[in-house]
Amino acid sequence: MVSRVGRMVALLVAALLAVAAAGCGGGGGGGTSGTGTAGGKPIKIGASLPLTGDFSEPGVAAQQGYEIWRELVNKKGGLLGRPVQIVVKDDGSDQNTVVTDYNALIQQNKVDLLLGTFSSLLNLPASAVAERNRMLYVEPAGGSPEMFSRGFKHLFFAQQATAPHQADLFVQWASGLPADQKPKTAAYVPADDPFGGPVAEGIQKGLEAAGVQTVYSEVYPPETKNFDAIASAIAAKKPDLIAQGSAGLEDGVNLDRSLIKVGYSPKQFFQASSPSFADQFSNAIGLQNTEGIFYAVSYHVDAPTPGNKEFLDAYRAKYKTDPPEDAADAYAAAEVLEAAVKGVGSIDDQDALADWLHGNQVDTILGTLSWDETGAPQQAFLLAQWQKGNEEIVLPKESSTSDTIVNPKPAWSK
Amino acid sequence: MTQLVQAIVLGLLIGGVYALMASGLTLIFGVMDVINVAQGALLIFAAFLTWWFWKEAGIDPLLGVLITTPIMFVVGWLLYRGAIQWISGRPASTSVLLTFALALVIEGVMGIVWSTTSHATTPGYFASSYRLGDFYFPKAQVYGCFIALGVLVALYALLRYTWLGRAIRAVSENVSSARLVGVNPRKVSALTFSIGVATTGAGGAIVSVLYPFIPGSHYVWISRLLGIIVLGGMGSLPGAVVGALAMGVSETLTTVYISPRWATMVPYVVIIVVLLARPQGIMGVKLREDVVV
Repeated sequence: MVSRVGRMVALLVAALLAVAAAGCGGGGGGGTSGTGTAGGKPIKIGASLPLTGDFSEPGVAAQQGYEIWRELVNKKGGLLGRPVQIVVKDDGSDQNTVVTDYNALIQQNKVDLLLGTFSSLLNLPASAVAERNRMLYVEPAGGSPEMFSRGFKHLFFAQQATAPHQADLFVQWASGLPADQKPKTAAYVPADDPFGGPVAEGIQKGLEAAGVQTVYSEVYPPETKNFDAIASAIAAKKPDLIAQGSAGLEDGVNLDRSLIKVGYSPKQFFQASSPSFADQFSNAIGLQNTEGIFYAVSYHVDAPTPGNKEFLDAYRAKYKTDPPEDAADAYAAAEVLEAAVKGVGSIDDQDALADWLHGNQVDTILGTLSWDETGAPQQAFLLAQWQKGNEEIVLPKESSTSDTIVNPKPAWSK
Repeated sequence: MTQLVQAIVLGLLIGGVYALMASGLTLIFGVMDVINVAQGALLIFAAFLTWWFWKEAGIDPLLGVLITTPIMFVVGWLLYRGAIQWISGRPASTSVLLTFALALVIEGVMGIVWSTTSHATTPGYFASSYRLGDFYFPKAQVYGCFIALGVLVALYALLRYTWLGRAIRAVSENVSSARLVGVNPRKVSALTFSIGVATTGAGGAIVSVLYPFIPGSHYVWISRLLGIIVLGGMGSLPGAVVGALAMGVSETLTTVYISPRWATMVPYVVIIVVLLARPQGIMGVKLREDVVV
């Protein structure tokens, strides 16, 4: 016998299920989003994003970037005079689901164009689906060298450089320091991740060539939560410089916390992704502990790049905060797609769209982008550093927002 | 030598935290034969509650346990009445499917309420340590171990010395006989499930201090917790403690002396070896149904 209370609770749970199912679409933005003011048959663009699971944080940010682009394009009369619709599926941060999603977008939803997903991990299989269907695939976040070693013709990465070159400016800066400041020893902490690993390997290769001795270099599994033992092992080697390669926010925060606990602060500290997460990063390790931490970044809110003001105004108006880097990267990917469509003047021939991108440069909010024959971008990331609680661009000089570089990094505050 | 002792200390401390998180899971399985895959999601839910009380009312995350524990008890009771009771008596595999669905629902609800951005509670002790000579003891882990000890002793005392505990043990051993002596198995199961879920109040508080978390963080935790209770012996509280400490120490030693790359794998190798020798886990009890095919 089930009591009336039991039935009511069951109803409540069922209602929660329904609410959550709606939420799994990505905070109201999932599914097909509207068409704006342009006329004619809509152009349908499909993307699968990690709106839930491990990469949900950047996945939702990327969705916001796509959404802002769609709104602005439709406000300006659409693409080729047709309104734009974006169909977003949630891949749950899962490699198998992302493949299913892109197949479904192409075969069932019959989308006209594709946009990429987030992370090298998910873009690797997803881009293969696009290539098999000979569809243009512009992706906002997948810089692993593996992406570009497969001879794909329709793949384009819409950031400035691939993972091994993410920290080129940092390596140049550290290698060129005066002898009394130049690091003599370094520890590398690469994640077993198609993006994070190559970032740290790229730094290690560059610094070893500059005579910096490697005292610790151990790959860690991406599911690592507790970095206490790693930090303890690194502290025992007393490296001047530490460089971590990882994707997302958590790994960097967890390593920082463990280094604070063991009480070891390197003179130079580079982290691939975490420090770019603005206040999420500073809240997680304490603002006073961010001082002097370096990272490479594709986007800065104050950048005088083409279209940035329009993007920034629209993003701030809609989401009441500054855009995270992942939202800007997604917006830039959509800008690249838009440029190709406008350049060719049609969406019927995807080969022609890819050929156009191979032969042209595109102005985006990340700056001007161009690609080699594999779809790898040919520009350089900005080198950023946390200074007095703010994120500053320190190199290259022409884009810098701060005249100084904090060196050496001060000790942790607790 | 210093590094070896430090590694073991770090392993035991994180093992203590794991034990706290695994205690509710093993209690629920031991009594109800329910593998609660949603325990990880409930842990993260409790972490969000802790964060919320800390952020909005300035309540210290560890003191917040006094508020989150009763809330999680009620959540557990609602989940039992709304979902779990419908599968009573069904095979454990049914509970895996149902609770996995619940985990997804809870993840979705957390995403709506708190968004998918990262959250972290950072009280004064979140990244500081006690120091003793060359050794250091991260404060959050030390406090986590004390809370784990408290929760485990309370659970043990409840099972051992109270009428409810005797009823719970009776139901876990033989439902029909328990009913004959006046125990209401449905009530006992509801209470057990609620108590098991209530332990995430303390676990979630520690998680919120130790690591930043998002709604999707539960996947990593549930796989680790299931590993711990399988190693210790499913349904055994002392087994969960032994399994958690073994997991913590083997992770840390592997990181320091072999490679971090192997750190998440070696504990599972240990599990396989233990299960080959003792299929019921280190402190598990072999049941008739385990040997009769």
